[in-house]
Amino acid sequence: MIIGDGMPWPPKVFWVGLLLIYGTAVLGWLMEATIRMNKIPTAAIWYTAIWGTFLLPVIVSVLYFYFPEKADEKRAKEKKEVK
Amino acid sequence: MAGSVDPIVIIIVAIYLIAVVVIGYYSRVRLKSAMDYYVAGRRLGSIVNGLALESTYLSPASMLGLPAFIFLLGYPFWWAMVAIICGMPLATLLTASALRKYAPVSFADYYADRYGDERLRWWIGIIVIVGTILYITLSLVGMALFMVAILKMPYFIALVIGTIITMFYVVYGGMIATSWNAAMQALVMSFAAIIAAIAIVWQLGGLEGVYIAAEKSYARIWNSPANAPEVSHIFTGTWIGVIGWYFVWHLGFATMPYTVVRFFTVMDIKTARRSIFWCALIAGAFYVSLQLIGITAKYMIEKSHPIAVAAGGNMSATAVLASIQRTYGIGTVTDYSMIAAVEALGNPVILGILCAGGLAIAMSTAAGWAVVVNTVIARDWMVKLLKSKKAEEKPILYGRIVAFIFLLISFIIAIQPPALVLDLSGWAFIVIICSIGPGLILGLWWKRATKAAMWFTAIVMFVVSMIAWMRAYFILGHHARFFLNDIIFGNPNALITPHQIWTVPLGFILFIIVSLLTKPPEEERVQKYCVELTKEV
Repeated sequence: MIIGDGMPWPPKVFWVGLLLIYGTAVLGWLMEATIRMNKIPTAAIWYTAIWGTFLLPVIVSVLYFYFPEKADEKRAKEKKEVK
Repeated sequence: MAGSVDPIVIIIVAIYLIAVVVIGYYSRVRLKSAMDYYVAGRRLGSIVNGLALESTYLSPASMLGLPAFIFLLGYPFWWAMVAIICGMPLATLLTASALRKYAPVSFADYYADRYGDERLRWWIGIIVIVGTILYITLSLVGMALFMVAILKMPYFIALVIGTIITMFYVVYGGMIATSWNAAMQALVMSFAAIIAAIAIVWQLGGLEGVYIAAEKSYARIWNSPANAPEVSHIFTGTWIGVIGWYFVWHLGFATMPYTVVRFFTVMDIKTARRSIFWCALIAGAFYVSLQLIGITAKYMIEKSHPIAVAAGGNMSATAVLASIQRTYGIGTVTDYSMIAAVEALGNPVILGILCAGGLAIAMSTAAGWAVVVNTVIARDWMVKLLKSKKAEEKPILYGRIVAFIFLLISFIIAIQPPALVLDLSGWAFIVIICSIGPGLILGLWWKRATKAAMWFTAIVMFVVSMIAWMRAYFILGHHARFFLNDIIFGNPNALITPHQIWTVPLGFILFIIVSLLTKPPEEERVQKYCVELTKEV
């Protein structure tokens, strides 16, 4: 009853988005800590601002409505066929 | 320009205010029931709701506070902004879809129903009240700063005018009016920041120019904790600080009442998911613009602000801001750095659009919180708990009275704000996320979540986080210090920005432990909230 045993679990695509978001942050911090990527001219503008703040959340939000909607359609189709 | 009123700025702001009145009037015609007032009749589409989500969630703490923090703390603070926007899509599948399926009217409905205790409405209400006061205060401060930029008047008078405008806006709209207006305001404020950022990037000769200008203004501005000891600022000079900033607002979108209620206003679950896409799209562009403005603010102010130019170009940005502070009697002057950077462009059209955007973001946030608090007090407390017949018969009137009272309280605090606008916002986030965030998320995704855990976490974490923030602020001199630094380490700077690092995980850990130690919830409740709501999100 603590974990598992019919527990609700977010769909797989949720974990993909989570991986992309936290992966970006961890990778960015690692690159800054090791090769000082933040000191390469304009690099931080590209990976933190344009990718991390704009493109990444937009891509993840598309994934988060596209795949659940596909699943909805599939379920509706299956329901229709059963009827 | 810092001392003279520009008619072009006033005309642009006047056009914006006329648009607000027209949309407000049109929306008011459609305000027919309490459901329209509380949840916009649940008929908003994804674009309108997504834009309304953006303008409600992103307050003056974003528009003024984030560039001000970049001005103070340098590039590492950009990571906090990544976290805020990336928190938006995560909310889609974590809370938004499930809560839209559930479709309550009030934020407290979920807690009372999921945990089977109507009395929870009292405590949730108290926590929401703290968040409301902090947020409406920062909205009024933001409103007043933009009024100073528009009319070059003393801060106090600007605050009075700003509060009166916000009162009319909030008291007459309700959720249906604030939704349509908030959508329009999202476009205005985002366009304002984008156009200002483009103008700055253009003036500096592209992104490379931005990088060089920022570095010229402060050699350490791009440094991260890896460049220690030459860090950009002590608060972002450690990885614990950077990661702490990253997580402070990260879960906010999924759990803060003023965004969660907007998941209730959409037509269906599909619209709820898509509205977050629109929100992330516009908010992302808005935030990138704020990052660019914040990082170049120091350079722009020192090179081109009229006060610096008048002084022969030998004035630091801090001295320019101090001069503005003295002239207009502003309490939290660093928040003005973003406006000052745009003033330095010397373009009244861009300044006018920025000021219209600034008023937009302040009004929409104040309105969003006012609707949340008057739903909690006028509906949850007065109708549901106190069984007031009068409040039940005249919900809109009571809602408006509550909104008026909170605007008045916030006005008094805003006269001499206790901290920068982003500090106030961060405080509200910490208090709310650690005390009622675990109950919201785990109440959906963990069958074992119990009523006792909800009560325990909400009370303990609320009290602990309030004491920690205030002890750090009043005794150690800055809220970003760990509140026991002096006792444990004998050094007030030993740990920086740790509130969110320990309060949010502690809230979740306490919730899990108490749940495991107490009686499991009834199977019927588990089936309804953990199985039905989370299925096929």
